[in-house]
Amino acid sequence: MAIKTKSRQKKFDTRIDFTPMVDMNMLLITFFMLCTTMIKSQTLQIALPTNEKVEKEQQNKVKQSEAVTIIIDGKLDDKGLSDPNEGMLFYYDGMPETANLAQGESNMKQIEFGAKTGGAYPAIREILQERNKEVVLKIADLKKDWKEMKFSKNEEVNDSIYQEMAKKIRNDSTLKRPVVIIKATPNASYAHVVSVLDEMQINNISRYQIDRINEVDSAMMIMVQAKNLKK
Amino acid sequence: MGKVKIKKKETRIDMTAMSDVTVLLLTFFMLTSTFLQKEPVTVITPPSVSEEKVPDANLLSVLVSPEGKVYLEVLGSKDSTMKSETVRADLLKNMVAEYKRTHPSANLAFTNKEIETFSKLNAFGVPITKMKEWLNLEPDQRDKALESGPGIPINMNEDPNNPNEFQMWVRAAYNSVNPELQETMVKGRGIAIKADQTTPYSVVNVVMDNLQTMKMNKFTLMTALKTEED
Repeated sequence: MAIKTKSRQKKFDTRIDFTPMVDMNMLLITFFMLCTTMIKSQTLQIALPTNEKVEKEQQNKVKQSEAVTIIIDGKLDDKGLSDPNEGMLFYYDGMPETANLAQGESNMKQIEFGAKTGGAYPAIREILQERNKEVVLKIADLKKDWKEMKFSKNEEVNDSIYQEMAKKIRNDSTLKRPVVIIKATPNASYAHVVSVLDEMQINNISRYQIDRINEVDSAMMIMVQAKNLKK
Repeated sequence: MGKVKIKKKETRIDMTAMSDVTVLLLTFFMLTSTFLQKEPVTVITPPSVSEEKVPDANLLSVLVSPEGKVYLEVLGSKDSTMKSETVRADLLKNMVAEYKRTHPSANLAFTNKEIETFSKLNAFGVPITKMKEWLNLEPDQRDKALESGPGIPINMNEDPNNPNEFQMWVRAAYNSVNPELQETMVKGRGIAIKADQTTPYSVVNVVMDNLQTMKMNKFTLMTALKTEED
């Protein structure tokens, strides 16, 4: 009996102290927070032409008036890496004009891109937008309707109708659309190539391809660069 | 007077509620977390406006270091029917068959234990002739050997009948037991190139050209999200 009364006195402290438990939980949370990857990386889908030699007659010749060739050039540092902040773009419309190349005269133009132009690529965007004007204007109209939810009150349905119509405009052959040929020199950085591919998406260009650089292009680049340096 | 003294007893804060919250948070993080996979090289992918997510199943990713070393990673399907382990074990067997076709005299065979070790590895990238030796290393030495090693042998090769080792691996992955992987590879969602933004184009071009030679013209490039107002 005497023992029982003693144990009753101890009973006042039945609550467990949770502080160590909280400490431990916090530690675990910190661990999981640091080790998880919340943001999944994105992907950019591309399709390249086949490597097989295609018969000349079978080749789809790009219309000269529609073709724009963009050449990406970069700079290698002493480690052999290409700086994504520095780069040059060269572009020309249609066929290369090399008649007066020795004097540095050609239809190739040089623009700078990278960190110096504010990280964005406004120069090339303007050029592409100008050439894809008809599509860009139509898409802009469409976007206005999409923002006002004109297609459907349901947001998802609205989105899908918009995407469908935008795709139709991008592939509308009655509009004047450019064909962009992207070429990169071995020194160009991968980031530049991706950002130029990005510009295709931003400017709603449906027809573009990645091609290999040829001698005419490199010769033109050297001459244009030399001429611009003289200035 | 007495009343005031009684109130003084409660100076401790009740931690039960706090504990509840932390356990809840912990459960959330444990369930949603996917751990960062160990990769032989750290790459910072270039930014892009594309919003498509990287598929987390049925994927063959090609990791390209800025120096041009190539590593491969294979993921199986999401459900347990075709686990990554099964797909990887099958990949190694296919690779051996693929290699023997062009090198009939090669003495290449893996024990079941070696295949099991291989199936548990996330990334790999050693020449196939060195593979046996590499699989028998201790785990930490294996990582080091992967980092300092040459990666998967690759060169500019436009002859599909005489493939290099990288092309053999891709072909082996294509012949996988997992039909879904084959399907995604055809559609271009099954092959992803992960390269650092400072990589010179010449390096990435070699990988792209190899895939082109194998008539796998559609593939994806892994990028990081960039927001841009339009």
